[in-house]
Amino acid sequence: MLTAVVKQGASGIEVSLTRRVDAIAPAPRADEEEGDHSEGDEAHHAEVDCEFPFDTTEDAAASEYPCEEGPSPILPEAKELLWGGGAFLAFLVLMRFFLYPKLRKGMDARYAKVQDGFEQADAARAAARAEVTEYEAALATVRAEAAERVDAARATLAGEREARLAEVHAEISSKRDAAMAEARAAREAAESDVRSAVTDVTSKVLEMAIGRAPTEQVEAAVADVMNSEVRS
Amino acid sequence: MLALEFPPLNEILRWRDLFPTFNKVALIAVAAALIGTIIFLIAARQDGSKAPKGIRNFAEMLVEFVENQIIMPAMGKSGMGWTPFLLTLFIFIYLCNLPGIIPVIYMPATARMAIPLFLAVLVWLVYVGVGLKHQGLGYFGHMIAPPGVPAALYPLIGPIEILSNLVIRPFSLAVRLFANMLAGHILLVTFSLLTEELIIDGDNIIFRVLGVLPFAMLILMTVFEVLVGFLQAYIFTILTAVYIGSSAHPEH
Repeated sequence: MLTAVVKQGASGIEVSLTRRVDAIAPAPRADEEEGDHSEGDEAHHAEVDCEFPFDTTEDAAASEYPCEEGPSPILPEAKELLWGGGAFLAFLVLMRFFLYPKLRKGMDARYAKVQDGFEQADAARAAARAEVTEYEAALATVRAEAAERVDAARATLAGEREARLAEVHAEISSKRDAAMAEARAAREAAESDVRSAVTDVTSKVLEMAIGRAPTEQVEAAVADVMNSEVRS
Repeated sequence: MLALEFPPLNEILRWRDLFPTFNKVALIAVAAALIGTIIFLIAARQDGSKAPKGIRNFAEMLVEFVENQIIMPAMGKSGMGWTPFLLTLFIFIYLCNLPGIIPVIYMPATARMAIPLFLAVLVWLVYVGVGLKHQGLGYFGHMIAPPGVPAALYPLIGPIEILSNLVIRPFSLAVRLFANMLAGHILLVTFSLLTEELIIDGDNIIFRVLGVLPFAMLILMTVFEVLVGFLQAYIFTILTAVYIGSSAHPEH
């Protein structure tokens, strides 16, 4: 047994390792068990302390492995090989033929169900996309038709507007011509009135000035002057 | 003065038989097989067509882990038929490793050589059998004269390949698992003893304060052993998959 002794000395903590060989004693041989134990009581006690796996001296004596003389810790033990190997093989057989196939069957069924769901979802998505494409094509057709109708309506409207405008322009023109003729007639009437009034006034003034009525020639000259002055 | 007594290796590895020919390692191995069986029995009894939950979810997660993380990278889709064997191997090794950190038990069954050796020999038999089934005697022929290697190198590569395939692979499989788990177990024992001696049995305040360090290491190593236990199961299983895959398809 390896013993490490740690103590606090004058120069700090001191550690020393010692191998305690006095505690190691060979397992009692069968022929020694019959003999006198009195001389080895202390050594026997040390031996019991050393043999950890055994509860009693009898266990230690019966064992073929005293504590420090046990089998190599590296070498496998037959009972561990048999129990360990047997347990593993039993587990393997159960897993291979019963447990894993059943678990796998359930997993495969679920995966197939999920896969089926995916496929259905893909099909639904493809159908929806086809419907959307179809709808968009129909929409484009309707839009084109609507655009045609709107253009036709616009053309009709523009023609009607042009015709109406021409009509209105013609009406305005005729009204304007009539108004102008009326105004011209009124002016001519007014000029005639003014001319006769001026001729009368002039004749009266001349008659008063010269004491006799002006001749027709004078009246004609006055009328000419009037006409030329009024027109200018 | 403080005396730290490290028990001999046998003292921390060997246990009194629970009854003749049945010890704690055997108990752990049987318990591992039983726990694995019970988990998959409960999982298999549940309705698989519905969304998995609870134990069934856990079991399916294990199956998918082995399929996606072990079989697919090592063997490809053609290796799916090996799922039950590799799944059983992984679960059994992990459940044998796990007791190394479970209080009271504190003993990984794989820290003894028997189980790693049995599993390594079984794997060896399986991959040699697969090689013979798929390649016939050409399996050994490919070892002596590996395809793609110049003929001049056969005397050098041939013996290495034979030694590697027939001796080193099973040996390394067994020793890697056993040595890692044993080393972890010894480290846990060491830090436990140091903690006990310094904190509980220490007669000096300095020792008690120093005892925090091995205690912290004990916690750290326990957490680390959780990872090591999983990792060793994974490594053993993926190497098995690689060996079987290379026996079935030597061109890979």
